[in-house]
Amino acid sequence: MKNNTHFLLALAVVLLMPAFMQSGSLASEVLIFGLAAMGCNLLLGFTGLLSFGQGVFFGLGSYTIALTLTRWPLPMPLALLLAIAMGALGAAVVGWVAIRQKGTYFVMLTLAFAQMFYFIAYTATGITGGDNGLLDIPRPSIVVLGQTLWSLASPWQFYGFVAAVFLFAFWLLQKVSRSTFGRTLLAVRDNEERAGAIGYNLKLLKLQAFVISGAVTGLAGALHAMMTGIAPLSNAEYHTSEMILVMTVIGGAGNLFASVLGSAFYVLTADWLSSLWPRWLLLLGLVLMAVSLWMQRGLWGLGDSVWRRLRSKLEKMHE
Amino acid sequence: MNIYLLQVVNGVGIGMLYFLLAVGLSIVFGLLRFVNFAHGAFYLLGAYFCYQMMEWGSNFWLTLVLVPLAVGAIGWLTEKLMLRHVYDTAHEFHIVITVGLALVVQELVILQWGPLGTNVAVPDVLQGVVMWGSFIYPKYRLFVIGFTAVLAVLLWWVLEGTRLGSAVRAGSESTEMVSLLGINVFRIFSLVFALGAATAALAGVLAAPIRGAEPFMGIEALGVAFVVVVVGGMGSFGGALLGGLLIGVVQSVMSTLWPEGARLMIYIAMAAVLLLRPNGLLGRKE
Repeated sequence: MKNNTHFLLALAVVLLMPAFMQSGSLASEVLIFGLAAMGCNLLLGFTGLLSFGQGVFFGLGSYTIALTLTRWPLPMPLALLLAIAMGALGAAVVGWVAIRQKGTYFVMLTLAFAQMFYFIAYTATGITGGDNGLLDIPRPSIVVLGQTLWSLASPWQFYGFVAAVFLFAFWLLQKVSRSTFGRTLLAVRDNEERAGAIGYNLKLLKLQAFVISGAVTGLAGALHAMMTGIAPLSNAEYHTSEMILVMTVIGGAGNLFASVLGSAFYVLTADWLSSLWPRWLLLLGLVLMAVSLWMQRGLWGLGDSVWRRLRSKLEKMHE
Repeated sequence: MNIYLLQVVNGVGIGMLYFLLAVGLSIVFGLLRFVNFAHGAFYLLGAYFCYQMMEWGSNFWLTLVLVPLAVGAIGWLTEKLMLRHVYDTAHEFHIVITVGLALVVQELVILQWGPLGTNVAVPDVLQGVVMWGSFIYPKYRLFVIGFTAVLAVLLWWVLEGTRLGSAVRAGSESTEMVSLLGINVFRIFSLVFALGAATAALAGVLAAPIRGAEPFMGIEALGVAFVVVVVGGMGSFGGALLGGLLIGVVQSVMSTLWPEGARLMIYIAMAAVLLLRPNGLLGRKE
């Protein structure tokens, strides 16, 4: 039972959002950034690597799907796979260089890669459209043998597709994190020297974590491009990397479902506040400071401690 | 040929500003093992405070002194009231708290001065150009080079020749040891953090007449400062100087050869340095 609690929670989020939300796009965004945050969490919470370069993989995913869907006649699922592969490839390159360093040096390297990617995307106008980005990305239906199986035209139809992809990815990531490989990553996070001394190949483990993270983030970027119909330069910006990281930390590191909470919190409050006050980022900044000072386990940690306190109170009442 | 010489001199000017921007980040990291993602915010404040004081009719020299002092005081307070409480936590919280601080500063700047950039006039004395034969160069940029060079020497003396400096350098090796010797390390932390904020603000003041002030210059500066520190070697004064000059010259020369790619080149230069010397040009092995 306990093994499936988190998956059931994720399923509940997926099923409840259509009941409570008006906008299918907003609901899709929650799941899409949930994917990106889970990718980030695999590095931060499970491997102890803080990556500021997640925007690179997100951007790669959105550019790849934009190019394949507008220029080459590939079926959509294949294009999506290609975007995942590009995210993984980008992560392999960034990871290969960045994991030579540890701690803060590592963080700065990932940030520098994010900047480098941004300027490459900005300069290579022939491929990325530069400042304008890539426009008019179609959202083709899923067609099998000439039969339209699943149209993705309306926001809620697309949400259904995103939800299916999200749940599959969640299940897969959960499996990965509970496998021997995932446990070994935890060992690297908790005590790198000891894990190395036991004989684990630290660089290989970190690189593998990077590749998986890049694949998931690339998928998120591709879905985001399909949702909005554009692959803008801003998807490759510092801001995107920062946003993904912020969602992960607000949700709570080391727990996949917490990333979904973080994404939901960020996307929904951003949507709500930005319509009220254009300077809402000020409040976000204050939230980040508060989280670092008093709520280091994130929303998940907060919920967890409230739950524990309630339970012990209930138990006392029974006695 | 002349144009390249001009670009190299330009690059030295930019590089000295980059040095000033990065040196505080580097020293704070060396001593506190703390990456300050709000470092660009102090630079941003420097530029806007400069703009505001000039609007009030202050002269540039007074601005050059008062703004770093004011921002240094802000840095000192930030360290004392906030950052001190996260030193013991995992380094992601160092980053998250300063990212939050940078956002708050940036949004406050937009609230106060609006989202569009403003220009700051070059002071009267430094307007115009200097001519040596066929070599023509703007006075203000020449002043920036000279002034930052003097500052660099001064900073070097503070770090190498004073008691504070030796405490800082010893603290970079082992904070506990310095603390055991009866030195109040927390006071040193605050002072060094304030010094870092003040130097970043000074870079902002000096840059304002060249590139104006706009709300997103802080993030841009942060990226550059990281590159400089990574290229030069974290925690190294000489590294910040060398890295700053190198990056400044690369960017400046590339802007004649390949204008669109000039910014890209500095990141490529960084990647190249890191592949050859993973700890930066003058960095120690951790």
